Amino acid sequence: MTLESAGFARRASVGAAALLVALGACKGDGTTTNGAPLCAADPAPAPLRRMTRFEYGRTIADLTGVAATVAETLPPDEETMDFDDIASAYSVSSLHAARYLDVAEQAGAALAADTARLMALAGCDPSGGDAACVAAFVPAFGRRAWRRALTADEQAAMMQLYADTASPGPTDGLSAVIAAMLQAPQFLYRPEPAAVGATAPAPLDGPALATRLAFMLTGAAPDDALLADAEAGMLDTEGGLLAATDRLLADDRAADLFVHFATEWWEVESIGSVDKNRTLYRTWTDATPGALATETQMFLADAWRTGPTLATLLTAPVTFADASLAAYYGLPAPAGTGYQRIALDPTRAAGMLTQGSFLAVHAKADQTSPVLRGKFVRAQLFCTPPQPPPPTIVVSPPVVDPTLPTRQRFAQHTANPMCASCHLYMDPIGFAFEHYDAGGRWRDTDADMPVDATGTLAGTDVDAPLDGVPSLATRLAQSAEVAQCAATQWFRYAFGRSEQSAGDTCAIASLASALTAPGGDFKQMVRQTVRMAAFRTLPPVTP
Amino acid sequence: MKRLSRRTILRGAGGAAIALPWLEAMRPRRARAAATAPVKRFVVMFSANGTLPTQWTPTGSETSFTLSPILTPLAAHQADLVIVQGLYQQGAGGDGHQNGIGGMLTGSPLNPGPFAGVGAPPAGWATGPSIDQRIAEALAVPTPYRSLELGVQVGAADNWGRMIYQAANQPLPPTDDPAAVYDGVFTDLHTDPAVLARLRARRQSILDAVGAEYTRISGQLGSADRQRLDAHLQAVREVEVRLTTDLVQNNPACHDPTVTAVAAQANDSFPAVGALQMDLLTMALACDLTRVASLQWSRSVSQVRFTWLGIPDGHHDLSHRSDTDTDAVNKLTQINTWYAQQMAGLIDRLKNTPDANGGTLFDNTIVLWCNELAKGNTHSRQDAPYVLAGNGGGPLQTGRFVSYEGQSLPHNNLMVSLLNALDIPDTTFGKPDWCNGPLPGLV
Repeated sequence: MTLESAGFARRASVGAAALLVALGACKGDGTTTNGAPLCAADPAPAPLRRMTRFEYGRTIADLTGVAATVAETLPPDEETMDFDDIASAYSVSSLHAARYLDVAEQAGAALAADTARLMALAGCDPSGGDAACVAAFVPAFGRRAWRRALTADEQAAMMQLYADTASPGPTDGLSAVIAAMLQAPQFLYRPEPAAVGATAPAPLDGPALATRLAFMLTGAAPDDALLADAEAGMLDTEGGLLAATDRLLADDRAADLFVHFATEWWEVESIGSVDKNRTLYRTWTDATPGALATETQMFLADAWRTGPTLATLLTAPVTFADASLAAYYGLPAPAGTGYQRIALDPTRAAGMLTQGSFLAVHAKADQTSPVLRGKFVRAQLFCTPPQPPPPTIVVSPPVVDPTLPTRQRFAQHTANPMCASCHLYMDPIGFAFEHYDAGGRWRDTDADMPVDATGTLAGTDVDAPLDGVPSLATRLAQSAEVAQCAATQWFRYAFGRSEQSAGDTCAIASLASALTAPGGDFKQMVRQTVRMAAFRTLPPVTP
Repeated sequence: MKRLSRRTILRGAGGAAIALPWLEAMRPRRARAAATAPVKRFVVMFSANGTLPTQWTPTGSETSFTLSPILTPLAAHQADLVIVQGLYQQGAGGDGHQNGIGGMLTGSPLNPGPFAGVGAPPAGWATGPSIDQRIAEALAVPTPYRSLELGVQVGAADNWGRMIYQAANQPLPPTDDPAAVYDGVFTDLHTDPAVLARLRARRQSILDAVGAEYTRISGQLGSADRQRLDAHLQAVREVEVRLTTDLVQNNPACHDPTVTAVAAQANDSFPAVGALQMDLLTMALACDLTRVASLQWSRSVSQVRFTWLGIPDGHHDLSHRSDTDTDAVNKLTQINTWYAQQMAGLIDRLKNTPDANGGTLFDNTIVLWCNELAKGNTHSRQDAPYVLAGNGGGPLQTGRFVSYEGQSLPHNNLMVSLLNALDIPDTTFGKPDWCNGPLPGLV
């Protein structure tokens, strides 16, 4: 509440003049001469972050060797703005605490029984109870789990826990210490050395920067090399920070992170629980959602590796399929076994916009939904969500009449002026998707009539008449508003909060430039993020 | 006191049956001070998207009434019911479904927050505890679990999917996987007592150390972040209390429940998951693991497709169709009737399970069935549907249809009456200006 109110007051106080000054301080082309943090004016509060299940699983697997899927037993992350990491939405309960205990015990037992990992951490084998070696293991594991050196008090507390629990054997004490460290706030949360009561933003120290960097770029805690760089002060300059960023961007784990982010942004993470009316969609089986999810993950990871431009994401006429999924789409089976990259007809296919997962999520169980598809484009690609219908209206999708094509069933939206005032900006975009049924398959006819996929993109910076998804995709890829929105989505995910201040506005403009500049893409945008004051500094905190 | 020798068949994901010995972890290590006080229990059941008042409301007088089409499955229990009609279900902040489910059991508005409602400013969590949590607090239940939150396909973690609040801003998430409920709640009962004692001592040491770190780090943060860590510390402390609470088992009806493998999130598993959760809930009461429990069927804006009734449409889509749409009215009647069957099934389970000191679990329990809305296609909360079953061994007279229609009374008053029915002498509940005492003539 305090944060929300502070953010609100800040927003309200930003006048047009202050905004201009802030924008002026921010070089949209991403160049600076002095390496100082960008967009430093008017910082917004940085709320305490907690690991998401995605991050927790990856991190605990790195640290202890248990499977990342142990995170699935934790209560689900609160989701808002379509992301799993928005800090103001967190809640905590005894169910959380009980599950954290349970998983931490499993991980503690696994690591305490893994002599090779213990030795790699401690430089000796602590499992026999050698006092000096235990005293070496605790800070070594602590540095990785808590992502910084332990204080003397913390070291003493953990050594005391070891003494209290190393019975009947030393590994009981080791597993207890590991389990405790994995439930501590230094692990589950990302506490940063707060400038409580200060009046100006303070630079973050090396370990805190390494932690932000690793979670933002790889969805996991920093590795040993990154922590070592941080401890050596190498992240304290912009050049050093960018060098570390480039190393992480080249890591496959950055591709995982991009897939995770884009999957949430495009609202396709729910594909696993999507089902269709199987009388109407006879080829939809229990296996279809999983196959569509795999297809999209591979498309996104491939885009990341080969050049994740906005245009690639929106327009690339390629996808991945195995023989079974190809058959589902009515495509020839790919050469080779398993999922293969296949070229699609560019007059039909356009990047994420024609992925089966996206089309099936944005449809009903028994019919397509021009409203959901058009609304997605508005809300998630232009960041201008349409106003919901007034509460006095009884809203319901038209009953499926097999003798009428979708467009005619939604005619009410244009016939009734009150409906039309909003649906004018959704349905005519959604109609462009009409060649794709509710299961994401191409169709030439709808209710025995040839599909009419014409529509209109209106009220944007790239207005145009539409005919089919590629015509829409081409326009979206040229839109500055869409680039700005993509940058906004990334900003929210990266910082775990909504944009709230002139400093944030400046940062988003800078990120959008990095995305759209010649040679720009999502990698460049991620790289640009670490140059922001919002990334490199911590604003003052209310005592 | 009876030694238990049941065996349990636990089916793993592969469907293989694993026989586990049912160990004697149940001998009391100390008598509970509260064991002599009469046991009282409270169970909440939720179903979504409003109902159809014309198909829900009984006809007749308070003591001589005919059940409506939707409530017909409860006919065998009519003498144990109190059907309360005509109240306004309070709620505020966020959209109608958000504040409906958030205010339903809290009688409190939602805080501002990050969850963007439909046609409303973004809202957060509720500003006060829910009725079941007040009951758990007032009864000072000595059981390992202060309360047990179960669900069936409750969906995402947001304020459309949370009805139970321990306190302001502290929603309690329901567990919607029966296997996870079994592992989390029943494991101690079949662990060797000596092993369990060692495990508990060790966990106490670990959690003591964990708690100390929360205190340490909390002190280094600003006030907003400190509140988050303090809430986490409280959650850790609750788990510690669980570790020091003896399992007192003196009910021969307590046995290890059977959990069959089920795809918990598959639409068509909805009835099977619900049945398992009701089995687990009943057994958790029989084993005195808790005395306060809830069962959340889906969530507000539920889009469950009741295919097992031959209804392929999403529930929420149906709930928005017109009152003159006979297809929708028929389907919504069937859906709500199905939920009434589930309520009847829950009552049957409680009536069929003996209680420790004679009688059945049902004799010492009050069950409340509620909904976030009165009517789906208007989002109205006027005349919200409440069905109570049982009197908890207290003063509530059952076999009644009590209408408060036209009296403009808030549902907070019903919550006060529920507290009074359990011999908790509170005079107000929830947001103070949404409450003016107990409902006249209910208890």
